[in-house]
Amino acid sequence: MINSNKNYLITGCSSGIGKALTLSLLNSGSNVFGISRDNLKVQEIIEEYPDNFFFKSVDLGAPLDLGNAVEEFVAKYGKFNGMVYCAGKEETLPLSMYTPAKLAELFNINFNSLFEIFRLVSRKKSCEDMSSFVFLSSVMGELGQAGKTGYCATKAAILGLVKAAALEFSSRKIRVNAISPGIVDTPMAQQLFTLIDDSNKQAIIDMHPLGIGKTEDIVPLITFLLSDDSRWITGQNIKIDGGYSVK
Amino acid sequence: MTKEKFIADLQEQLELASALTADTNIKELEEWDSMGAMVLIAYVNENFGVGLNAQDIKEISTIKSLIEKIGVDKFD
Repeated sequence: MINSNKNYLITGCSSGIGKALTLSLLNSGSNVFGISRDNLKVQEIIEEYPDNFFFKSVDLGAPLDLGNAVEEFVAKYGKFNGMVYCAGKEETLPLSMYTPAKLAELFNINFNSLFEIFRLVSRKKSCEDMSSFVFLSSVMGELGQAGKTGYCATKAAILGLVKAAALEFSSRKIRVNAISPGIVDTPMAQQLFTLIDDSNKQAIIDMHPLGIGKTEDIVPLITFLLSDDSRWITGQNIKIDGGYSVK
Repeated sequence: MTKEKFIADLQEQLELASALTADTNIKELEEWDSMGAMVLIAYVNENFGVGLNAQDIKEISTIKSLIEKIGVDKFD
């Protein structure tokens, strides 16, 4: 399972799962086009991998504007071998408090920007046949939770996209899969935990029979899905949740 | 925002059948539940830029205490 000398686009590369994945791929010798909003947080990566890390600061919550960045990357490193969309926003907001603008922003970050980057990267001129696309959904893509109507809807949208796109790209042996993590100890989860009391926090932890996850629990599954070892897997939603969804 | 408008808005957002006053104990309302708390947190965050956490919710009782928690200086 080696992903060396390959080219990948990773969103959310400045923290959490996206950062751990970016470092793992760079360490294994791949080139990474990293996207995140915050360019200060990626300075260390830029300095450590000046030749292999191509960065663009993008606000994925706004209508997407990548300029010519995809073309610039391809001109410098060659076509992409895959993409992983890790960026996302967790939001707890009752349905009654949504506005069209709030919903649009959430969909932009969690789904619309994913769709658009996928569209740009998957063109024949931009990506190799047999490439692999991995999108981070969530256990909330299939399950429900009060206060998570917007979040659940965005994560369910990814699952619909994955199934249709897997069929659309099968002739090029391009694979498209989703993974659905449970709660992983990331800045996003820490933010969630500040909003709830200790008993609710413990209840959430207890819902994961194997405890809450760490980024290093998730990265190997993604690198497997990017690799040729998973060449017969497409259109799937693979849950990785410490047993959360079977309780 | 005036305290009067805040109270009226809150009554609307929480879809309360009875009128709210500064002395109403929000937790004694028939409609108060975890979703009500979520609505309250979202409303306060959006209108005052104040993020109430679980401990804050635990500590409030009357609307007056909620106003104090948000910060009296934030009202007109």
